[in-house]
Amino acid sequence: MRVPWRRKPAGLSVPTASATEVESGTSSTPTPLSEETGVIHLQGVECRYLGSDTPAISDFNLLVRPGEFVSILGRSGAGKTTALRVIAGFEQVSDGYIRIGGKLVGTSFVHVPPDQRRIGLVFQDYALFPHLTVAKNIEFGLKDLPADERRVRIAPVLKMVGMSGYESRYVHELSGGQQQRVAIARALAPDPVALLLDEPFSNLDRQLRAALRRDIKKIVHETGATTLLVTHDREEALATSDRIAVMGDNCIEQIGTPEDVYQNPISAAVARLIGPCELIPGVYRGEVVVTEAGVFPVRVTTENSILDGRQVLALMRASELEIELAGEDDQRTAMVEAREFEGEFSEYSIRLDSGTLLRVRRRAANGIELGSRVTVCARDGSKVIVFPA
Amino acid sequence: MTISGAISAGWKSSDGKRPPAFLVASAAAVTFAALIPVVYLLVRSIDAGSEWIDIVWRANTAAVFGRTFLLIGLVTIISVSVAVPVAWLTVKSNIPLRRVLSVASVLPLVMPSFVMAATVIEMYSPKGVLQGWLSGLGVDRLPDIYGLGGATLVLVLMTYPYVLLTVRGALRRMDPALEEAARAMGYGPVHAFRAVTLPMLRPAIASGSLLVALYTLSDFGGVALLRYQTFTSTIMIQYQSSIDRTLAAVLSLVLVVIAVLLLLGEGFTRGRGAYHRSTVGTVRISHRFDLGRWRWGGAAAVSVPVLIGLVIPVGVLIHWLVRGLLNDQELLPLLVPARNSLYVSLLAALATVLAALPVAILAVRFRSRLSRFFERSVYIGFGLPGVVVALSLVFFGINVVRPLYQSTWLLIFAYGVLFLPASVGTLRSSLLQVSPRVEEAAQSLGRSQWKVIFSVTVPLVMPGAFAGGAMVFLLTMKELPATLILSPIGYRTLSSSIWSAASEAFFAKTAAAALLLVVVAGVPTAYLTLRGHGDNSGTSDRSLDVNGAGR
Repeated sequence: MRVPWRRKPAGLSVPTASATEVESGTSSTPTPLSEETGVIHLQGVECRYLGSDTPAISDFNLLVRPGEFVSILGRSGAGKTTALRVIAGFEQVSDGYIRIGGKLVGTSFVHVPPDQRRIGLVFQDYALFPHLTVAKNIEFGLKDLPADERRVRIAPVLKMVGMSGYESRYVHELSGGQQQRVAIARALAPDPVALLLDEPFSNLDRQLRAALRRDIKKIVHETGATTLLVTHDREEALATSDRIAVMGDNCIEQIGTPEDVYQNPISAAVARLIGPCELIPGVYRGEVVVTEAGVFPVRVTTENSILDGRQVLALMRASELEIELAGEDDQRTAMVEAREFEGEFSEYSIRLDSGTLLRVRRRAANGIELGSRVTVCARDGSKVIVFPA
Repeated sequence: MTISGAISAGWKSSDGKRPPAFLVASAAAVTFAALIPVVYLLVRSIDAGSEWIDIVWRANTAAVFGRTFLLIGLVTIISVSVAVPVAWLTVKSNIPLRRVLSVASVLPLVMPSFVMAATVIEMYSPKGVLQGWLSGLGVDRLPDIYGLGGATLVLVLMTYPYVLLTVRGALRRMDPALEEAARAMGYGPVHAFRAVTLPMLRPAIASGSLLVALYTLSDFGGVALLRYQTFTSTIMIQYQSSIDRTLAAVLSLVLVVIAVLLLLGEGFTRGRGAYHRSTVGTVRISHRFDLGRWRWGGAAAVSVPVLIGLVIPVGVLIHWLVRGLLNDQELLPLLVPARNSLYVSLLAALATVLAALPVAILAVRFRSRLSRFFERSVYIGFGLPGVVVALSLVFFGINVVRPLYQSTWLLIFAYGVLFLPASVGTLRSSLLQVSPRVEEAAQSLGRSQWKVIFSVTVPLVMPGAFAGGAMVFLLTMKELPATLILSPIGYRTLSSSIWSAASEAFFAKTAAAALLLVVVAGVPTAYLTLRGHGDNSGTSDRSLDVNGAGR
């Protein structure tokens, strides 16, 4: 489906908050790209695959601002990749709308094809063209430029990703990490409105992954490109992003800075996704929660303030707990089952009487023997978060 | 859902993508063209009305049925039992001259059945060469070569390469770790082959067998020369001997039904999984079994079908040529038929590959009920014997497209209908090797869908297109019944020249034309075979997949 009101390939350079002007979706008067319109804006988006009853994503809301690096974090099957493909234009929206650069590109009746969206896409398996050299791969997206200008563009882009000198190589002559860099260069070369990264590091080994992550962060920062990364790896999301959007089933549950989402998860599901933790049942009484493991002070948020006297789930994180050897008359005790030495700290596995396993981080200096009975409490000053059970 | 949404849902493929209109339109046109023969036959048969049951019985159909199925069964079983060991020996063992033998073992494919039949008669008939040699040893009379025995021999030699190619492809693609796992669990080599390898090969054997069965069903030249009456030769005789062609049309329809039944049988073994590899990695090189001192025995075993199916027939042809030349037999001016053969075969290959492209892309990339219908319809040609297509196009030509009748265009059209599956098949497997992400990457870089097809998809499936074209070229060179029926009067190709010369026992002419054909047809065959031998470092699996390729 072509969009009749589309004037020209919207002249969007890598957008900066103030300078870029874009067409508005419904009228021909250009509207300034602002914080409100965002580079990518999804509102109430639903996408269904044919023959499936449940939508892959539904009521999906996301606003990515100019120059921002946003990650979508979710377990596999949550619909992250679908969201990305909807933005890129490979899937059609069945409800809601998508704007890219302020321009309406997708509703249930409007569908701007992927080739007219000016989105730079980096695939999980890179999807480089095996029949073309590195230089030709990058040149592929520059077809609108005159030939000599095209050639001029290739060198700086390759330099940016640290792949100068590989112009005439074929894709299969490159390592996985190198292919990844070329894929990013290819996506950035045509000056896209935004860069979308689909699990870009999942095919690489751990060490390479960390190095490349830093590099990409740097490249993206230098170009000022608005970036949306999809991942199931929380470390990746926490380390790279300005903001994290945590996906539950089919929609975004919470969005915020990594620190904010980590410290104030709004649901048990978000808490589980954002960091290793244990959720144990308890009863909320005023400012404390009474659990099998002990009584912990509760950090009162608007979400849990109404739950007084009710069954809750208390969020237990290894770094926010402390254990002490139990005295004779301590009532709620647990047993030290395992200990993993990590240098500065040790991580203890504590078995509660109900069988639940808690993990506690503790300075390695004063160790506790395996098999000891211990009491669990909150580390100095930290309060636990509770969720409705 | 909006109205336009509802309309678009009809177009949507099962993975949610909507194919570009030009692709659907061209695939629809190709499908429509491919269905013309069947539709036309149906119309003819319906015209015949209730008569046709009568007609079928008058032709003594039951007996012909029996003979045809007996031949199909024998040929299929023997072809499989020849091809599987040869495939294993040439892929998985360390026999000497492995590469040479694996190319040579496919080469009997270049022999047209009527040439093979003529040489078999020369060699093994009661008055043949072998009898001459053996009479010195006191053998008075060889068993009669005419009839079932000879027909089976000829067709096995012709068709075992089909099974060989599919099984070999499967063996190469198979993960060697599976067999190794079986060995590690205490299975001996033979036991591991039976328990792991053979079951994995079953789909390949099934699709190879299908090709053998369909070829046997549709062969005319070989069975005619060996005087074994099958369904196809009955139709041909009916067509040539009677003015009323209704019987031929009705029998053709029965033949189509048999072919469709065979196709359905194979359909069960076909999976619908995704085959493209998502990562660019190297294929692990499979370990070859050391046969020890049996190596030479293995090489000898592989040589047997090569000897009988290739060396001896070519030897006989050379012998004829020399003898004919010594007896001053006139050589047919071969240049014109050779040029005609090249011309129609190249055009047929080009046209067929071009026609196959939209169908294959649609079938692989935009799976939907519609695209499946297109693909399946095109595969009908695969079950249609040349006689049937040719006959229906005769009717069609006379009654509908009179200007095309008696032109080479109708002949090329017939080849297209017959051999479309060969090129759709190879293109399909090529496409499956190309990750759809690569095309999406191209689209996200600003190319519209149809530009993506030309700038990315087509270059990447070029090897498949070449293989498909080579296959069509080879098959067209060898094709006889459609060529005989549809060639414009006086238009001779190599195969029709060979046929008429052989029928009139002009051996030198037969031999010269046949040798020429074998040489010309040998080029694409060698290409196809060597292609399957690509080193393992390539980025794609290059083995020839004749699943649905050729007849």
